[in-house]
Amino acid sequence: MAEKKQQKRAIIDMDIHERVTYDELLPYLDNPWQRYIKDTNWVQEKHLPYPILGAAGLDRADAQVPDGRPAGNDLSFMQQQLLDDVGHEAGILTGAGDPSPSSMNGWYEMAVALATAYNDWQIENWLEKDDRLYGSVHIAAQDPASAVREIERVGSHPKMVQVLLPIDDRPWGDPYYHPIFEAAERHNLVIGMHHQEPPNYYGKFPRYFVEWHSVMPNTHMIQVSSMIFNGVFEKYPNLKLAMIEAGFTYIPAFMKKMDQQYKVLRHEVPWVKRMPSSIVKDHVRVTTQPVDELTRDEFLKFIDLMDSDEIVCFSTDYPHWDYDSPFRALPPLGEELEQKIFAENARKLYPKLPARERKVTQ
Amino acid sequence: MKEVVCKKEELSPGNIMSANVGPIPIVLCRTPDGEFYAFTNKCVHQGAAMSEGVLCGAPAPTDTPGEYNYEKEGEILRCPWHGIEYDIKNEGRMLVDPNRKLGNFNVSFEADNVIVSTKQ
Ligand code: FES
Repeated sequence: MAEKKQQKRAIIDMDIHERVTYDELLPYLDNPWQRYIKDTNWVQEKHLPYPILGAAGLDRADAQVPDGRPAGNDLSFMQQQLLDDVGHEAGILTGAGDPSPSSMNGWYEMAVALATAYNDWQIENWLEKDDRLYGSVHIAAQDPASAVREIERVGSHPKMVQVLLPIDDRPWGDPYYHPIFEAAERHNLVIGMHHQEPPNYYGKFPRYFVEWHSVMPNTHMIQVSSMIFNGVFEKYPNLKLAMIEAGFTYIPAFMKKMDQQYKVLRHEVPWVKRMPSSIVKDHVRVTTQPVDELTRDEFLKFIDLMDSDEIVCFSTDYPHWDYDSPFRALPPLGEELEQKIFAENARKLYPKLPARERKVTQ
Repeated sequence: MKEVVCKKEELSPGNIMSANVGPIPIVLCRTPDGEFYAFTNKCVHQGAAMSEGVLCGAPAPTDTPGEYNYEKEGEILRCPWHGIEYDIKNEGRMLVDPNRKLGNFNVSFEADNVIVSTKQ
């Protein structure tokens, strides 16, 4: 249902899932990859042992394209249901996780081909068709040299703003992946991490989806600590990390925890030169969604404990079942903080987003 | 406020539709036993249009982990977004928190017409 009033303030939405079908990727693939998909009906392996139990599964029940195509597959329907209806200034595309080249556990050459095809498809069908949409560079991070080549190939596209890494079971801070961060920094690209289907229960899956989904922040914490304690931000001082889709309430506790651990264990990681909480404040941003229901007072306490109002950035997660409405998800927070959360923190994070429009006063 | 929203046969049992009572968007539900129920077409959580949701059943609360007794088929309205379950035969109350419910409307009939009116 169309919202009657548009959001009054600028919105930069850090998590919008566009969806490709394998058929649509075929023209962007060479052989043998094209034949492999066509002849064997190949689709990427999935790991979740349960269905996602929204009313219609993974997607909002009202987001399926009216002609029956899957949610997120059609730009004009997305424009109508999200970008125009809400009044987005900008949105960042994060893929639909299928394919997710960096998640592949075998045949990395295929992963490389898929990442390249995906980027070309994304640029042609989304980034160059709507001014408001910005993109993520998909890579096959298992093969850092190929990943760097792909960042070199498309990273300077004016609408590519980040490199996307899925959260599965590889902690990305490992020096093996550092060439990716070097290339991202050189191209003014943020590293965006979004969970794929991580085993988050002692390396396996918990019995119920509600458990898996509730402990998702754990997998984000693993990545944040991996990036910090492997010295990524000391090595690449201009690199920024966007942790997408685990909310933000875990951050203050985790900042305190890492600081306390660092004080007693610094001798293990002497390349880390300052308090983890200070690294988080300078380098890490997180999204609101999926938002925990908070009163204004509760919300402000979390911001206070982070000691920064620049870490939290708004996202909807459209078209997924746990979409957050820009009109209803957050309590009223006051003009200044709302401007930061809904747009300005993201604008500061992504150097390639347009500058803030200056209000013309009569 | 009162409005003829449809003919009885326009909504078959087990289905839902959107309609308006004056300016107010509503969701009209017809349970498998043929009864009609009408609620505000807005989820109390983040405001999704309930008419885009699904009419389904729900596993009954149980004391035994692992036990599923699926009941109330066609009497539970699940929100199209986050999937909160509302019991339409219990005034549209949330299963998870019966203190919260969808706005209720009266449903009456004149011949074949389904009439929805605001509660007095
Ligand atoms: S909007 Fe209905 S459950 Fe969230």
